[in-house]
Amino acid sequence: MEYTWNFTSVFAYWNVLAIGLLGTVKLFIICTVLGLGGGLIMGMLRYSKSRWVSYPAMLYVEVFRNTPVLVQIIWFFFALPVLTGIEVSPFLAAILGITLNTIAFSSEVFRGGIQSIEREQWEAGKAIGMSYAQAMRRVILPQALKRMLPPLTSRGIEVFKMSTLASIVAYPEMLQQAKLIASYEFNPIEAYTVVALIFFVVLLPLVQLTYMLERRFGKSDA
Amino acid sequence: MHEWDFAATLADMDLLMLGLWNTLQVFVLALVFGIPLGLGLALGRMSRIPVLSQVCLFLIEFFRTTPPLVQLFWFFFALPILISAQMTPFVASVLTFSIQSSAFFAEIFRGGINSIDKGQWEAAKAIGMTQKSSLRRIILPQAVKRMIPAFAERSIELLKTTTLISTVSYADLMFQANDLASKTFRPLEVYTIVAVMYFFLILVFSQLTILLEYRLAKSGEGTMR
Repeated sequence: MEYTWNFTSVFAYWNVLAIGLLGTVKLFIICTVLGLGGGLIMGMLRYSKSRWVSYPAMLYVEVFRNTPVLVQIIWFFFALPVLTGIEVSPFLAAILGITLNTIAFSSEVFRGGIQSIEREQWEAGKAIGMSYAQAMRRVILPQALKRMLPPLTSRGIEVFKMSTLASIVAYPEMLQQAKLIASYEFNPIEAYTVVALIFFVVLLPLVQLTYMLERRFGKSDA
Repeated sequence: MHEWDFAATLADMDLLMLGLWNTLQVFVLALVFGIPLGLGLALGRMSRIPVLSQVCLFLIEFFRTTPPLVQLFWFFFALPILISAQMTPFVASVLTFSIQSSAFFAEIFRGGINSIDKGQWEAAKAIGMTQKSSLRRIILPQAVKRMIPAFAERSIELLKTTTLISTVSYADLMFQANDLASKTFRPLEVYTIVAVMYFFLILVFSQLTILLEYRLAKSGEGTMR
């Protein structure tokens, strides 16, 4: 019953974990940048007045919001190669799944943010001779971004956590590396505890940041 | 170009239906345990006893910031050694997702309870209610109504997260799909059908949510504008 914890067997493999952390961070950066960038574009398409643009965008968002990320990653990994004949690496499958999912979720944040700006702002932009694109870029988005900052930060945190799913297609991120260590050293307790703690330590400051942003930008227009 | 052939997959549809049933079992049990646990955590977090409040805060933050897959692995591979007990995939899944979602539910409860006007507490006190009975009879009934949309959203999130339990070999829909894909050599068809199944399952839930929000909006208690 009394279990002696032995963390040295995990720290002996610190380089294995470091590779995992690198893999996780790589996934996080690529998926966040592409996901939020794509989300902005998708959000604007969703907001478009032309039905030929807004309906397909809506279909995309609903499909990716209403299916689990894991199903998406596995679909890209196992099913897409059959369909296209192109080999899909674990890295690419994870990026595709997480990014496309993030685009769908963040596009709703962007759309909500853009819609929350009063109509008068558009009219004022028009009145001083701005085109639609100019008003969007110089009047609407700067104001909307401030309101969207807290939910977008939460999206980023979500992406960081989602990156663990890449372990299912054996991409060497942190969890996958911990699995490796656990199978070598028979120390699942320590290996998984360390990984959980690393995630906690990395993400806790980010979560605190979200709370701070929410207090500052949440409702007011400070 | 690939020839689509759904025949092999459709022939084994009962395997997938069994998986769906197992998925729903874990989902419902995680809700049944997770919601009361979440209420407990929220009340602990708001308690005036500093130790209790700090412990609950830590638990909530810990389970919100660590990935669910790491938690599942911990409960499945590490916990049994620690307490030297057998752990089945089913128990590990229910345990993980009850605790994980309770951390999220706790924040919803806390937000909901905090959103109720302080005057309500004072009014209850004025007619001689204890703190406990005013919470149960005045505050919670009003708060829960406001929390329903957030609850529904979180539940849908939970339903999607249950796919992770396939990694500890619990025969949920995802696991059955992996099984069937390797048996039929038709991953494209199998995973496409499973994606469609999840899509409609979640769509039904989210439509119900919208309906509920609409009805709440009508009764003047909703969050919809």
